[in-house]
Amino acid sequence: MVTTLPGIKDAREVLKKHKIVIAGIGETEQGKIPNKSSFHFLSEASKIAIEDAGIKKSDVDGLVTAFSLVEHTFMHCTTFADYFGLKPKYFSSVAIGGATAVWMVAEAAMAIASGQAEVVLCVRGDNTLSGISSSGMVALIREMCHAEFEFPYGLTTPGGYALAAQRYFHDYNAKQEYLAAVAVTMRKHAGMKENAMYKEPLTIDEVINSRVIAEPLHKYDCSIISDGGAAFIVTTEERAKALGIQKPLVYLWGMGQGYSHQYLTTLRDLNQIYNAIESSGQRAFQTAGIGPKDVDIAFLYDCFTITVLLEIEGLGFVPKGEGGPFALEGRMEIGKDLPVNTHGGLLSQAHLGAMHHVVEATTQIRGEAGLRQVKDAEVALVHGNGGIVSAHSTVVFGKIPLS
Amino acid sequence: MADEKEYTKPLPEFRPETKPYWDACKKHELVLPRSRTTKEFFFYPRALSPGEDMSEDIEWVKASGKAKVWTYAIHHMGPTQAYKGEPPYVVALVETKEGVKMMTNIVDCDPNEVRIGMEVEVIFDDVTPDVTLPKFRPVKKQ
Repeated sequence: MVTTLPGIKDAREVLKKHKIVIAGIGETEQGKIPNKSSFHFLSEASKIAIEDAGIKKSDVDGLVTAFSLVEHTFMHCTTFADYFGLKPKYFSSVAIGGATAVWMVAEAAMAIASGQAEVVLCVRGDNTLSGISSSGMVALIREMCHAEFEFPYGLTTPGGYALAAQRYFHDYNAKQEYLAAVAVTMRKHAGMKENAMYKEPLTIDEVINSRVIAEPLHKYDCSIISDGGAAFIVTTEERAKALGIQKPLVYLWGMGQGYSHQYLTTLRDLNQIYNAIESSGQRAFQTAGIGPKDVDIAFLYDCFTITVLLEIEGLGFVPKGEGGPFALEGRMEIGKDLPVNTHGGLLSQAHLGAMHHVVEATTQIRGEAGLRQVKDAEVALVHGNGGIVSAHSTVVFGKIPLS
Repeated sequence: MADEKEYTKPLPEFRPETKPYWDACKKHELVLPRSRTTKEFFFYPRALSPGEDMSEDIEWVKASGKAKVWTYAIHHMGPTQAYKGEPPYVVALVETKEGVKMMTNIVDCDPNEVRIGMEVEVIFDDVTPDVTLPKFRPVKKQ
């Protein structure tokens, strides 16, 4: 457990003063949806979020986007503003891989706190499944590793995570079932999420017997690829009330980042990854004035089953090496000790980075999760991971203003 | 390698600052970059030492060629079409005696025999007339 970090006092003051909230959320249909462009998904998701908030498009004065894996554009946010018909006072593209969606919340909060905008639309959407060509896929894989010193050895993205997983197995005497249990839990949750791409339950055996991609990662240990969009609106409690927003507001309590590496070649040991995850979490926790035991729901980046174990441990929810048994005992399920990814995550619902994790966290705290509703959900954590467990970001949300 | 078939797997995307490394590989020599200021090895090569020194004074030191497997992953699927139909292969991070890690393939052994901690030594694969990739094979016990 690290000692109090510098800057926490400032961060708390800013969030307490501005009462940053998520005031609107939107998700389009997810899955295999051919013939819809990346910008179509972005627009649709934005519209749904704006309508969810009950505001007008002209009330939005800030825009934060990410990137497209299909339609690469040099200036993504301004290009989308043009397509959607927005002239934002504040515009920014956040591009830190899977750590992006979580950090978009922080980016919007910082823009609002420094007077750049008051109502910030954060959106990501892509036709990754239907729109990416095979050469596009290769280019993506190449970008996830060092093009000169790693790619020539045939490293794939699952392979990079498998390298981390194999070392984890060695350091913590882990079993294949531990990874499989994460996939089974995600699928169980996705079964209750209407727009999830995969809903049929999975068993441990089915996961372990699925096709090996890169040992120890099998097919069901790997995230899905999907088409779709998701968005959320960040504003202040004051602005939300002035705009007459009726939906329950979800308050931002803390945010942080943690850096480990970009290329596995530079990785010293697994502790380097754990430290980055812990740093990210600690900044968010300390700003929020809480610890892991206060979190009701954890949204962990699940691009591969292994990342859920590394994160649940690195963030301090369970000791190192104990994430596996925790998963195997079903303790990540809704209704159990620490529900994880109640929407089914990247492993079963859809893959748009952590966008759906932020949307589901908001849905849960609002009390709108229906069958998936976690009883008395008041505090949620969302963690994003970019690269190959390289770059980390964390936010904490609460049902009431930060105090 | 005497194989005449065209090599279609990914080749390194060279940066100017790495030339001494690849030139040595072509001569079947492994050299590793070291800051002359701190005498610290680093890998992968950069134009400036990635340490606090930020030194641009880099020396290329003949390496022992010895390492241990730090982690590995048997790939059943490759990243490009060139890997289609190929048997599973091992991508590994090996920790060299010099203390830096390198990504590589473990060759000359059954993938299922690879273990973390296994001692390996460098060999050189002339994949094309212009490019030689260093790879590692298990050190044979006498």
